[in-house]
Amino acid sequence: MSPTEKKTIKYLYKFKFQDGREKKFEVVLDEATLELQRGDPNPKPEWTRLNYSQCENCPLPATVQYCPVAVSLAGLVEAFSDSVSYEAAEVTVETTQRTFFKKTTLQKGLSAIIGIYMSTSNCPVCDKLRPMTRFHLPFANSIETFFRSVSSYLTAQFLLMRRGETPDWELKGLQQIYKEVNTVNKGMTARLHQATEKDANINAVVILHSFGDGITYFIESGLTDIEPMFEVFLQNHDAANPGKP
Amino acid sequence: MNERILVVDDEESLRLSLKFKLKSAGFDVDTAIDGEEALGKLKAKPADVVLLDINMPRMSGIEALTIIRQTYPQTEAIMLTGFADFSTAIECLKIGAKDYLVKPVDTTELVTRLRSLVRSRSTERALQEVHQEYLGFLSEELAEPLGKLGTILEQVSKLSGDAEKERKKLLTSASDLVSKLETKLGLVADAAKHAEEAGSSGDEGISPTQLTEKIREIRKGSAR
Repeated sequence: MSPTEKKTIKYLYKFKFQDGREKKFEVVLDEATLELQRGDPNPKPEWTRLNYSQCENCPLPATVQYCPVAVSLAGLVEAFSDSVSYEAAEVTVETTQRTFFKKTTLQKGLSAIIGIYMSTSNCPVCDKLRPMTRFHLPFANSIETFFRSVSSYLTAQFLLMRRGETPDWELKGLQQIYKEVNTVNKGMTARLHQATEKDANINAVVILHSFGDGITYFIESGLTDIEPMFEVFLQNHDAANPGKP
Repeated sequence: MNERILVVDDEESLRLSLKFKLKSAGFDVDTAIDGEEALGKLKAKPADVVLLDINMPRMSGIEALTIIRQTYPQTEAIMLTGFADFSTAIECLKIGAKDYLVKPVDTTELVTRLRSLVRSRSTERALQEVHQEYLGFLSEELAEPLGKLGTILEQVSKLSGDAEKERKKLLTSASDLVSKLETKLGLVADAAKHAEEAGSSGDEGISPTQLTEKIREIRKGSAR
C-alpha cells in the first residue's frame, strides 16, 4: 500500500440461493471516516434524484441533484428488484478479521447491507449511525442491534463529556436520531416502490425502520431486562456507595 | 379485558416493534411467525384482530386470511405488505380483510385504526345482542300472550248462553293479559324513545348494552 492510499474497511456480502444463483456485493469504507467508497452508477436512475419522493426531513439543499443514499443503493436495488423478501439464501459476509455465515432470508441479508449504505453515504440524517458500521454485526437480532446502538451513543456522550460538554445519559437524543432516521427509511421505501417489482428491497428497509421503532422499547424495557447481566457493576457500586440509590 | 391482537410476520424485528407499540397502546398482543403458527394460536386462544403480513414463507397471508375468515368469523384481519399492489389489496378486501396497510406502518395510525375497528366490532356485537333480545321479547312476551288471548276468545265464542260465570272468568284472564302486554310494550317503547332522544340530542345516552339489559329486565318483569 502506498503512503497516500487510504486505509479501508471491507465487507464482502455473498448471497447464494437455492436455485444456484450467486450475487456478491463489496462495501468499502474509509477506515478513518467510515465514509462509503463507491463508484456512481452511470446513468443514475431517475428514482435517485434528490427531489424524487424526497424525505420529509431532508436537510440537503436543492443544489444537490441526487440523494446520496439512493445513489449508493442503486446497484443493489437493481440486482434484487424482482426478488421476494422471504426467499431463502445462504449469506456469507467476509471481513478482514472474520467470516460470518447464515442461512437466512434475502430481506435479512439485504437489510444488513442497506443499513451500512444508508449510514455511510453522507446523508446528514443517517450519518449519526455511522460509528456503528465500524462494529457491524451481520445478521444481528433486534437486541444485539439495540445494544450496539445504545453503546455507540453512550460512547459519543462520554466523548462529549470529556470535551467539557453536556452528555445525554438519558438517551433522549438517541430516540430523536431514530425518529429522524425512520423518516428517511419511510422516504426510501417510497423511492424503492418505483425502483422494484417485488418486496425484497423494500422489506429490507422496513426491517431497519422497525429497529428504529423498537429503540424506545429497548430504552424503556429492554435495558431493564438485561440489567441482571450487569449485576457485578451494580453490586460494586452499592458497596462503594452505601446509602446511595 | 384488553382486546387481543395477533401480529403475524416472518420478520422478528417487525413482530417485536409492533408488539411493543401495541402493548404500550393497551392491547393484549401475541405474535406468530407465519400463517400456520397463527392458525395454531387462534385455535388455542381467539383474537379480536389479526395483523397479517402478506408475503410469508410456508403459508401466504392471503391463504391464512381465507382460512381465518372461514374458521374464525369473529376475528377481524388487517393486512400488512411491503409492496403496495392494488389488485392484491382488492383481493384481500374481497376475502374479508378490514384494511390493507403498506409498510413501514405508521404505528400511531395503526393504533387509531385498531381502536376504531375494535369499537365498531363491539358496537356491532352489542347491536346483535339488542336484536336477539328484542326478537326474544317479540316471540315470548308478545306472541305467546297473543296466542293465549286468541285461545280465550275462541273459548268465549263457544260458550253457551248460560255460562256467564265461565265467560267472566275467561274475559278477566284476557283483560289481565292485555294489561300485562300494555305495560311491557309501554316499557319497551319508553326505552326505545329514550335511546332515540339521547341519540338525536348528541348525548352519550343509552348504549346498546344498556338497551339489551333494559329489555331483559322488562322480560323478567323487574323493570320500572
